[in-house]
Amino acid sequence: MIKHRNLFALALVVALGVLPLVAQQQQADRVKAIGGKFLCMCGCGQILTQCNHVGCTMSAGMLKELGQWVNRGDSEATITQAFVQEFGTTVYAEPPKSGFSLIAWAMPVVYFVVGAVLVLFVISRWRKRPQAAGVDAAAPVTASGVRISQEAMERGRAQAARETED
Amino acid sequence: MDVFGSFTLLLAFACAVYAFVGGIAAIITRHPLLVKSTRQAGIATCVLIFIGTFSLEYLLFSDNFSQAYVVSHSNRDLSAFYKIAALWAGQEGSLLFWSFLLAVYVISVLIAYRHKNGELMPYVGVILAGVQIFFLTLNNFVESPFKILTAVNAGGVLEPFVRQDGNGLTGLLQYPEMVIHPPNLYAGYTGFTIPFAFALAALLARYPGEKWIHLTRKWTMIAWCFQSIGILLGAHWAYAVLGWGGYWGWDPVENASLLPWLTGTAFLHSVMMQEKRGMMKVWNVWLVFCTFLLCILGTFLTRSGVVSSVHAFANSQIGPWFVSFMLLTLVVCFVAYVKNHDYLRSENQLDSLISRESSFLFNNLLFLVACIAVLSGTLFPVFTEWFTPSRISVGAPFFNKIMVPIGLAILFLTGVGPLLAWRKTSTDSLKRNFTWPVVVGALSAVLAYFLEYRNAISLVCLFLCGFVFWTIVMEFYRGAKVISARSGMSMMMAAHELSMRNTRRYGGYVVHFGMMLIFIGLAGAAFNTDVQKTMNIGESMKLGPYTLVLQSADTKPEKNYTAERMIVEVMKGNKQLMLLYPEKRAFAGRDQQSGTMVAIYSTLREDVYVVFAGMDPDTNLPVIHAFLNPLVKWIWLGGVWVVMGTLLALMPNRRAALVIAGATQPAASAVAPALNPSVTLRERHD
Repeated sequence: MIKHRNLFALALVVALGVLPLVAQQQQADRVKAIGGKFLCMCGCGQILTQCNHVGCTMSAGMLKELGQWVNRGDSEATITQAFVQEFGTTVYAEPPKSGFSLIAWAMPVVYFVVGAVLVLFVISRWRKRPQAAGVDAAAPVTASGVRISQEAMERGRAQAARETED
Repeated sequence: MDVFGSFTLLLAFACAVYAFVGGIAAIITRHPLLVKSTRQAGIATCVLIFIGTFSLEYLLFSDNFSQAYVVSHSNRDLSAFYKIAALWAGQEGSLLFWSFLLAVYVISVLIAYRHKNGELMPYVGVILAGVQIFFLTLNNFVESPFKILTAVNAGGVLEPFVRQDGNGLTGLLQYPEMVIHPPNLYAGYTGFTIPFAFALAALLARYPGEKWIHLTRKWTMIAWCFQSIGILLGAHWAYAVLGWGGYWGWDPVENASLLPWLTGTAFLHSVMMQEKRGMMKVWNVWLVFCTFLLCILGTFLTRSGVVSSVHAFANSQIGPWFVSFMLLTLVVCFVAYVKNHDYLRSENQLDSLISRESSFLFNNLLFLVACIAVLSGTLFPVFTEWFTPSRISVGAPFFNKIMVPIGLAILFLTGVGPLLAWRKTSTDSLKRNFTWPVVVGALSAVLAYFLEYRNAISLVCLFLCGFVFWTIVMEFYRGAKVISARSGMSMMMAAHELSMRNTRRYGGYVVHFGMMLIFIGLAGAAFNTDVQKTMNIGESMKLGPYTLVLQSADTKPEKNYTAERMIVEVMKGNKQLMLLYPEKRAFAGRDQQSGTMVAIYSTLREDVYVVFAGMDPDTNLPVIHAFLNPLVKWIWLGGVWVVMGTLLALMPNRRAALVIAGATQPAASAVAPALNPSVTLRERHD
């Protein structure tokens, strides 16, 4: 019985010693995670948790503030709101996924989709193009449907060959 | 010397105007004397720019503190090495440096082609002169580097004034790489002017598309090589000096340097479509136009301060000049295209979706999407200011999220491209070619997993690196095997012979190998860790498997700065590995100017990266910030391979006669007679 009581006491002492350390580490991780979502406001354009350039007048204060809010148990949304209120929307390290900023996130996807559609369209057009059967069939066609004669192309090619050397 | 420098730049401007106007007249009249005189005016412009640039360097070296530029960017104690770098440390000097590097290219082109391409060169000369006029306008009338220092005297009148010493060079630039990084980057920016000038000239002269490609191939590769070196050196500088533990922060100026590199890389690939199949002529012309415009945009972003950046050493009002020049260039390109685009039509058809041609199309799509995504992300804060009441920042997390999938897709195509045949690839060929690369890729991922690199994106990246690596090995192996069988050479010699016979193709594979190494390095970024601790002398901290012990601290006075050093011992277990000396420097000349100097213990597996972050204000003890960055060294190694590959690609191909001579050797004689040498040589030259 005494033995069990001793073990229990030992576990309690260990837990009391370790738990604050674990909590401290968790808070530090949270500061790092949340701090990674904001920019340092000294003008360097670096992430808050990464800004360490000499003479920075902002990052230490901002991190201190962030640490206090995290210790107080504030949610990420509350902290974000507080930072935005204090420094404006330039504090974001990445644009929020709402409102006008959503465009920043959507555009790369739009570029890719539009580009891929264009590439597939070009491929299908090139595949449908008839084999060069004769001089006229192979002649390049302008956007307006006018055919430049193969003769003109060859003349241009001959001129280029005559007038230039590699 | 300042008046002399000013005068030479003014004269250079006059010569450039003559080269431009006279060049147009020469194109119209085709008068040989006019053609010759405008070419000589172009050469004179370059020589005068050289003299103007050397005049500014002379003023910097002679500590002439009557000059505003010298006072702002130099001081007496600044070493000669950094006095060279002071040339591009400020707005005025860097714009003059742009003109200087452009003049190096222009004079090389004008002299190299003085007896060649007689009909095309007047067009090229006019376009190059046009670009020079723009920069000389800035050098002479907007941001002159030869302004004398003035002060208001007791009577309220401005009069010349001589300072005893200068402010010195900004601390961030007092690092050896800063003497070579900007020249490389600028040489890349300016170098793309040459393919641009030839492309536009060929379009104006109504040449069918292929000719300018042949003429500018080497110039494009040279510019691309400089741009690549510049970007990598910039990344290394950021890593070793800024002290935040990373090498790429998606800073607007970093992004600006990446944009023309992306389109330039797309061009280097798509140009092969035009050479081999007569396709994508319009696309290639526009890629070169865009690359040039992005180079100008890059210079504009660096110099105008339109988006805030750690690089924004010089902000000024040159923005409208750059915007006007870009718009004017765009209009000229567009008009030339609309008038003459009939000569750029594709003449070939695509046989199959699964072909080398398609892979190039998708490769170009990805490079372009990457370019536009980076550009729109970089300029997004400016757009938000226009359309909303507040400015919204776009930082590294955004770019990482966007660019990682695009980068992986490009890496995938790097491996896939060489495995696909031109025109059409059969299913059997696909199976045969893909099996081993996929197996090696899978083994790489498994190995990475057991080496504790357990992150989904990193594992995909390392799988693709293994895949690409094996495709490159297979390409060399197959080619070398044929040569070895025919000539009796060892495989190593045969691989060397193979590379020398088609330097462009195999140089390209070496570049791909370098890029693969860079991607291995990038995959390590997911596992970066760091620890920051206020330490007393003798105290230690753990960083992964390493123990860092703060041994002592000292102060090291140097000529132009005083360094406060921490001496940190790196240990692994009980074994001492290295002493590191992270320091903080207080520079002479400028008030409060200071900088960090990171100390790095670098291995192939990881970097121990130690920063002296300053003194703790509460305890007055040093704060040490240490990072464990896996695989970073692979990035720098990859950079070396990229440069080597480009240099190989720039070498002329070894003559085919050597192969035929080799085929007469006894070991090859059994195989060679059945082969037609010319056919055998041509079949691998794609």
